[in-house]
Amino acid sequence: MSATGRGGSAQSATADREIVISRVIDAPRELVFEAFTEVRHLSRWWGPEGFTTTTRSFEFRVGGAWDFAMHGPDSTDYQEWISWTEIAPPERIALLHGESRDDPNAFESVLTFEPDGVATRIVMHTVFPTKELRDEAVEKYHAIEGGQQTLSNLAAYLTEIVRNGAEG
Amino acid sequence: MARAATTSDVFNAIAEPQRREIMVLLRAGERPVTELARELGMTQPRASKHLRVLREVGLVRDRKAGKQRLYGLDARGLRPVHEWTGGFERFWSESFDRLDAYVRDLKQARQEE
Repeated sequence: MSATGRGGSAQSATADREIVISRVIDAPRELVFEAFTEVRHLSRWWGPEGFTTTTRSFEFRVGGAWDFAMHGPDSTDYQEWISWTEIAPPERIALLHGESRDDPNAFESVLTFEPDGVATRIVMHTVFPTKELRDEAVEKYHAIEGGQQTLSNLAAYLTEIVRNGAEG
Repeated sequence: MARAATTSDVFNAIAEPQRREIMVLLRAGERPVTELARELGMTQPRASKHLRVLREVGLVRDRKAGKQRLYGLDARGLRPVHEWTGGFERFWSESFDRLDAYVRDLKQARQEE
């Protein structure tokens, strides 16, 4: 891609199908990175509160995969399949996230780990290949989330917008 | 698959950067099209066209105030946008909550070893 183009146009090319999530974790970078590299760690924190995982196979290397099922609090099972496309300790992990090995709907997330004082900032940048695939992923995550918390979050968000509008 | 029309799909409507800029301005309150056009450095017909798209997908509402027509955000139209980001983001936000607690315990356990 040309570096001389308008900055805005490069961003807007994926802006409607990407999600960036940033979070500071209160531990040194090496330790946070390590928590992504072994299934004994991953199984302790992957998914929202109340979720558990059962691993069929796990091979942490570029081209390797984590084949597992996620169990929701309502005992619904979700098949998950993650394959790593880049591993650069302790800075960066890129992975493909789908439901099975050849899932055509898989999407890529890039996780970067940066020191933030004695803590670590994780930035997770996910780009969905197309709008249709994004929408499918959305529906899936909504099913997983159950909706209740999302709705309370929505209510708070809309209240804020309405209040800002009224004050203007 | 055919792309949904800009005027019927909220995600396509806000994919256009100038329309997002209009929405950011409207967060501060209702504005007439003349002010929006001036602040964003676009012609009034162009601003009107963007507003029409935003109104058709339910992101913007308008009302007459004397001789002016004022445009404001219609938060109801943002619902699908929020639901989309909310589900995925919340999943990861809660996972990262658990990660934070887990690595703190791990850190402490290693210091005690």
